[in-house]
Amino acid sequence: MDNNIEKYLQNLRERLIYLTDIFAGKHGDSAALLEEKLTAFAVRVRSGNCEDVYAELSTVEDLVAYVERRLEKTLTPMDRVRVVRHPQRVCLRDILENVYDNFTEVGGQDEHSLDPSMLIARAIITRRRGKKTYMQSVMVIGQEKGHGAEYRNGGSVKPWGNAKALQYMSVAETEGIPIHAYIFTPGSYPIEDYPGAAQQIARNIYNMAGLRVPVVVVISEGGSGGAEAIGLADRRLMLSHGYYSVISPEGAAAIEGRLKNGERATPELIEHCAANLNILAEDNLKFGYIDRIVQEPPLGARPWHFDFFRSLRQEVIRATDEVVISTRKIPVLRGLALARHRSPESDIDNLYIRWGLSAAAKARLVRRRQQKFLRLSRQAARDRRPFVTKTATAFFDWISKPWVIVKYDFYHKHQRQISTLMEEINNEIDMLKYRLLAPWRKLSRRLPSRTDNKARELTALSSWKEDGRSHRWNYISPRYKIDRTLTCPNSESYGCLDLWGPDLFAEFAGVCSHCGYHFPMEPEWYVNNVFDAGSVFEFNSEIEAGNPLGFPGFSELVARAKEKTGAKSGCMTFEARIDNIKMVVAMLMGTFRGGSVGAAEGYKFVEAAARAAKKRYPFLAYVHGTAGIRIQEGTHGVIQMPRCTVAVRRYIEAGGLYMVLYDTNSFAGPVASFLGCSPYQFAVRSSNIGFAGPGVIKETTGMDIPPKYHRSYRALSRGHIQGIWDRRQIRANIKQALLTIGGRNLYYR
Amino acid sequence: MFNISKLLDEIKSSPYREIIVAAPHTGKIAFAGVEIGARVHGPQGRWKETPGTKLCTLERECNPKPVCAPENGEICQVHRELDGHFVEAGTPLVVLRHMLTRDEVQRIILQKTLYLFPAPERAKYYFTPEADKKIRASDARSVTVHNGMELFIMSRMKREVPLNYTGPDGVIYEVYFKYNKNLDAGSPLVGICPQDHLHIIQNLVMRVQTEWTET
Amino acid sequence: MSDAQPDGILRNHKILVANRGEIAMRIMGACGRLGIPFAAVYTAEDAASGHVSAARGEGGAKSLFRVSSYHDANELMSVADEAGCTAVHPGYGFFAEDFRFARRVTKRDRKMIFIGPSWKIIRELGDKINTKRLARSLGVPTVPGSDRPIYDEMEAERIAKTIFEFQEQQGISHPLVLVKASAGGGGMGIEEVYDPDQFRSVYRRIRNYALRQFKDEGVLIEQRVMNFNHLEVQIVSDRTRMNPVHFGTRNCSIQSTGLQKRIEVAPGFVPEALEYSFDARRVLDDIVAYSLKMARTVGYDNVGTWEWIVTRKGNPYLMEVNTRIQVENGVSARIAQIRGQGGVDLIAEQIRTGLGEPLGYRQEDIGFEGVSIEYRLIAEDPENNFTPWVGRIEGFSWKDAPWLTMLTHVPDRLPYEIPTEFDPNLALAIIYGKDIQEARERGAVFLNSLRLTGRDSAGEPLKSNVAFLKDNTGRILCF
Repeated sequence: MDNNIEKYLQNLRERLIYLTDIFAGKHGDSAALLEEKLTAFAVRVRSGNCEDVYAELSTVEDLVAYVERRLEKTLTPMDRVRVVRHPQRVCLRDILENVYDNFTEVGGQDEHSLDPSMLIARAIITRRRGKKTYMQSVMVIGQEKGHGAEYRNGGSVKPWGNAKALQYMSVAETEGIPIHAYIFTPGSYPIEDYPGAAQQIARNIYNMAGLRVPVVVVISEGGSGGAEAIGLADRRLMLSHGYYSVISPEGAAAIEGRLKNGERATPELIEHCAANLNILAEDNLKFGYIDRIVQEPPLGARPWHFDFFRSLRQEVIRATDEVVISTRKIPVLRGLALARHRSPESDIDNLYIRWGLSAAAKARLVRRRQQKFLRLSRQAARDRRPFVTKTATAFFDWISKPWVIVKYDFYHKHQRQISTLMEEINNEIDMLKYRLLAPWRKLSRRLPSRTDNKARELTALSSWKEDGRSHRWNYISPRYKIDRTLTCPNSESYGCLDLWGPDLFAEFAGVCSHCGYHFPMEPEWYVNNVFDAGSVFEFNSEIEAGNPLGFPGFSELVARAKEKTGAKSGCMTFEARIDNIKMVVAMLMGTFRGGSVGAAEGYKFVEAAARAAKKRYPFLAYVHGTAGIRIQEGTHGVIQMPRCTVAVRRYIEAGGLYMVLYDTNSFAGPVASFLGCSPYQFAVRSSNIGFAGPGVIKETTGMDIPPKYHRSYRALSRGHIQGIWDRRQIRANIKQALLTIGGRNLYYR
Repeated sequence: MFNISKLLDEIKSSPYREIIVAAPHTGKIAFAGVEIGARVHGPQGRWKETPGTKLCTLERECNPKPVCAPENGEICQVHRELDGHFVEAGTPLVVLRHMLTRDEVQRIILQKTLYLFPAPERAKYYFTPEADKKIRASDARSVTVHNGMELFIMSRMKREVPLNYTGPDGVIYEVYFKYNKNLDAGSPLVGICPQDHLHIIQNLVMRVQTEWTET
Repeated sequence: MSDAQPDGILRNHKILVANRGEIAMRIMGACGRLGIPFAAVYTAEDAASGHVSAARGEGGAKSLFRVSSYHDANELMSVADEAGCTAVHPGYGFFAEDFRFARRVTKRDRKMIFIGPSWKIIRELGDKINTKRLARSLGVPTVPGSDRPIYDEMEAERIAKTIFEFQEQQGISHPLVLVKASAGGGGMGIEEVYDPDQFRSVYRRIRNYALRQFKDEGVLIEQRVMNFNHLEVQIVSDRTRMNPVHFGTRNCSIQSTGLQKRIEVAPGFVPEALEYSFDARRVLDDIVAYSLKMARTVGYDNVGTWEWIVTRKGNPYLMEVNTRIQVENGVSARIAQIRGQGGVDLIAEQIRTGLGEPLGYRQEDIGFEGVSIEYRLIAEDPENNFTPWVGRIEGFSWKDAPWLTMLTHVPDRLPYEIPTEFDPNLALAIIYGKDIQEARERGAVFLNSLRLTGRDSAGEPLKSNVAFLKDNTGRILCF
C-alpha cells in the first residue's frame, strides 16, 4: 500500500477521533458507522482488495464529510468549547504558516521562551496592485496551544508572557505596523508573581486603549482576562466555532453550584451554564462585541483546512484595511473605499492600501477605538432615569462644554501665571519689611517682658477649636448592638483576645485592638466616615443591574440583592468632599452580589469617570469588595473590562488623578482592568487582592497555594500596590495622597 | 555511645503519647459527635492550614469556638459528663492516644544523645539577634556555639536579661523553646551536638527513619 | 464582723473580684465585713497565691474559678455570669482604669455594676490632655506648657521659648523643656531639651516619630519639673455625685527606677515636725481644695486619687487623676477617723458607694490623727538595678505589733513559688505612729524584725529590698 493512502487513512481516522471527542459520547451511532466503514476500508486496502483505491477513498471521505456536515447542525455550545480546546484545532503557528507569506518568531522559540504559551512573530503579507508587489509587515501576537504540547500550557499565559506581548505591541507602535492578535486562551494563568496576572492584564488593556496602530483581533477561544490581555482592538473578528466568554463553563458551573474545593460540577450543570452564558460567535455578534464572524468548515477548522486559511487571510487583511480607511478624513472617499472593500467579490490580495498612518490619522484611530468601546453594552443595563432627566443631562452637557473649556483650559492657565507673579511681588515686600524692621526687633528682644504674661500663657487654658483625637464616627455598624464576642482570625499567631462586638464595631471601627486585623465593615461606614458629613451626593442611582442574558433564576437573585442592600446596582457613584477637596467616587460594594461588575456597574463607572473629567475633580475608585465580573451577564460583563479601562485612560490623559483603594476582597476582572491600571493603588489592611481565588488556582494549575497568598502586604511586596492604609486613617491618607500626588492644583497637571 | 536499639525497642513497646485536650478558657461545652475509639486527625495540609478534627465547641459570651484535635490519634476518654455545662479554663475534656510519628521518636532519641542546655529559670526565651538572624536565614544547625557565648535573651517579669551558653562546643541541633511561650526552669532550651559527633547523630537519625514505621 | 447582714442597697449583690494577690484579699475581706458574697478568679500559675486559699476558705458555692488569664475581660464576664455576680470590683492594675471594661460591664445585656467611677469619667480623666484642659478651665494649676497637641512648628518654637524664659525668670539654673508625642504614652516619644537652639531638631524628631508611630503629629511641650514632691489627694464620693469628700493627702516621693513607688507617707507634709521652704499647710489646703473642686465639677462618683507634683518653691501642679483605688490607700485610711472612729476601710467605702449607698458622712465628720508609713516589699534585687527575681520563699516572718498592719498574698503555708507572670509585689507594711519620729522608729523596729528566707532559681539565697528600705528610711520627707 502506498504511503499516500496511509496518510489519507490516518487523516480520516483523526477526523473520526476528533468527531467522537468533541461530542463527548453523543452521536455514538454515527461515529460507530464511520468507524466500521473506515476499518472495513482499511482492511481492504491493506489486503489489496481494492480496485480503485482513490475512488473508494473519496467515497469514504465524502461520507465522513457528510456526517460532519450533518452533525455540524447539532453542535451545542459545550461541544464548541470542546472544539476549540481540541488538540487538532488550528493553532497560531498553523495560521502563521498558512495565512501569512513569511514570518519570523520573536520573543522566544518553541519551548525556549519566556512563556511558550505566548507567541509573537513579525509576519509579512504580500499584495499586488497591477504588476507591482507590496510587502506589508504586521506584528502577530497570540496564545499558542501547540496542538496540546505540554509546555505551551494550553494557551494559558503567565503574567510575564502578557508583559512580553505588551512589549512587542509597543515595538509595533514604534515601527508603525498593524497588530494582528489571535486569542487562543482558556484564561490567564492565575499567579501573583511579579508582574502579577491581574496587574499585567490591566496594564495591557490600558496600553491597548491608546495604541497608535491598527489592531485586529481574531478570537478562537476567548476566556475572559486572558483574552482581554490582547483583545482590545479596532476590529474584532471571531471564528465561527469559537467562544468568547467571561469564564469557562466549568468555572461558571463551580460558582453556580456553590462547589467547595475538591468537588466537581456535573456535566449537566456545565452544559447548562455553557448554554446560558451566550458565548457563541453569533451571540457576540448580536451584542456587538465582535464585528464579524469568520466562517469555519463543519465541526471547526483543523490544520488541513486550507480553504479556511484563505478566507481567514482575506478577512484579517480586509479588517486591517477597513481600520486604516476609517481613519481617513474625507467622508466620501472613506465611504467609497469601505464599500469597495466590503463587497464580497473584491480580491483583497489585489487591492493595496498603505497601512502606515499620519499623526492625525493615528489620533483619529485611537479616538474611534475608544468611542467604539465606550458605546458598547449600554443596552444591557437598565437605565431607569426618566426621559426628561436624560435629555436635560445631555443638554446640560452640551451647553456646559464650552464653559468648562473656558474655565479650566483658558482661565486657570492664565490665573496661575498671575498668581505666580503676585507671589513673587509679595515675597519681595516681605523681605524689605524684614530688613527695615530688623533694628527694632533687636531692640525689642532685649526688653524683658513681664513674667505674668508668660505664666498666664503657659498655665491658662488655650483655645482649641478642633479636637482631632477624640474623633467620633459618623456612622457605626449596626452590628454593635449585639452583645457577643468575636475571635480575631489572627488570634492563633498573635494571641489576640476575643473582642467584644459593641466595642469592635463602634469605637474600634472593626479593627482588632491587639493585632490590627480589619474586620469587614459595611459600605455605608466608608461613605459616612471617610467623607465630610453631608457632602455625599449620589448620581445615576437609577441605573439598575438586570439580567440581560435572561440567565435562569438570576433575576430573583438580583432582586434579592437590591432588597438586601437598598441599592440598585453594585456600584455607587457619588461626589463627595474631604476637607473641602471635591472628588468623584465610584464605589464597588462587596455586599451587592459580591461586588461583581456587570453592565450597569460598568455604565456607572464610565459615567463617573466622564463626570470627573468634565468637572475636573480627582476620581477615586473605592473597592469595598469585588468578586470579579458578574458571570451571569456573560460577555456583557467581560466587555466592561476594556470599556471602563478606556474611560479611565481618557480621564487620565485629560489630566485627571485616578486613585484606587482596595478593601476586603478584590479579585479577577475589575482588578485586571480598570482598577489594576491605576498608577496609584492602595489597599486597606487585611484586604486580599488578586486575580483568582485559591480554589480556582488549585483547579486550573494544580498548585497548592500558601495561606494568605493574596493578602495586601504580599501584594505590596510583589509591587502590585503602592501602600497599605489603616481603615481609621483612610480619610487622612486620601487627603494626604490627593494633596501630594495631585499637587497644588489637585487634579490637573 | 549508648544502645540505640534498646532505646528504640523501649519506645516501640509503648509507641503512644497521651494528649489531654483541655479547655483553653472558660465557657459552655458541647461535644461534637466524638466517641471513644474514634480516630481523629491533627492539622493537615502543606502549611497545616486545615484544622484538625473538631472535638467539641466551647461557647463563651455568645462566641462558639471549635476545639480541635492537636495531633492524629485515637480518642480514649471523653468527659461526657461536662456536656452542656460551664467549665473552667484548663478542665480536661478529651484524652487522645497519639501514635508517635517518626519525627517525634527521633526527637526523643536525640534528647538522650545531644547535650541539652537547660533553662535556668521559668521565663520566656529568645535567641540573641545575631543568632536569630542566622537561624532564620538557614537553620539552627548553621550556628556553632562555644562555652560562655551570649546566645539567649531571658525575659521575665517584663525585664530582659542576656543569658550565656555553658557546655561543650558544637552546633545547635535542636531548638526546644517556642517564641513567646514560657518555659519551666530545667527544661531544655537547645540540644547541642559537638562537631565530631555529627556523623553519629546522622547515623542515628537514619536508623530511626528506616526502622520506625508510621501507622 | 463576717456575720454582718447587709442591708438596704447592698442586699442581693454578689461581687466578682477581678484581681489577684493582696488587693483581691483586701476586697474579699471588705466584702466579708459588709456581708456581701463574692466570687474570685485565679490562673493556673497563680494557684498557690494567698487569695486563692482565702477565697476557698471564705466563699461559698461558685466562688472560685480558674480562668486562662486575668487580662481577658471575656473570662471575667463569663465567670460573672456563671457565678451570678451583680457587680465587678477591678482592684488596681488590670481593668481598674479601663473605661472600655467599665462600659462593657454596665452596658452588656446582663448588666452589672462596675465598682469604680462611671466609664465616662474614667475616659475623661484617663486622657491626660483632657484632664489638663479640664483643670485649666477650672483654674487648677498644671505644669506650665501646652494643654493641647501642637501641630505648627512656629507655634511650638514660640511655646518652647516662653517656657525657657519663664524658667529663667523663676531662677531655675538649668531650664528644661519636655517634648512629647501627644498620642504617645508609657515613656515613648519623649525627649528633654536643655538648649533652646536644639529645640527645633528635637521637635522635628518627635513629630516625625509620632506621625510614624501614632499617625498623629501633635506634640506637647511642657516644662520639665525637677526635684519635686509627689503628693496625692484621696477623694471619695458616692453615686449622687453631690458631695465628694477627701481623706487627706499622701506623699509618694520615694520611688525607685522606673518611677516605682517604694514608700508612702500620710499626711503629705508634716508641717509641725519638719521644716519646709514654703508654706506646707497652705499647699496641702490648696491641692485638697482644687481636687475637690474638680471632683465636684466632673461629678466624680467613687474613690479616686488626684496626683500632684509640688516644686521646691511650693508650686503645686496637677499631674493626673487615678480613677481607681490605689495600692497605698491603706496609709490614708490608717490615720483617718470618721466621727472620731478609726478603722476606716477605703475599699469597703468604695464597694458601699459603688453599689449605690450614700456616703453617710460629710467632710466635717472626717478627722486625722498621727502619721502612717507604708513600705512596699517587692521581690527584686536592690543591688542589681531592682531586677525582679523569681524563686521560692521558705520563711517569711515579722514581729506583730498593734501599730503594724501587714498586707500580703504570700500564703501561710510555705514554701511559696513567686509566679513570674505578675508584678513582683510581695507585701505592704503599714506602720502607724503618733508623729513622724515615732513612725520612723517603729518602721526601723519592724524592718529589724522582718525575716525573709528562700532561694532564687539559681539556688542563691534571697536578697530583699529591705536593705534598700532601711537605707532610705532616713530620706523620707527630706527634700
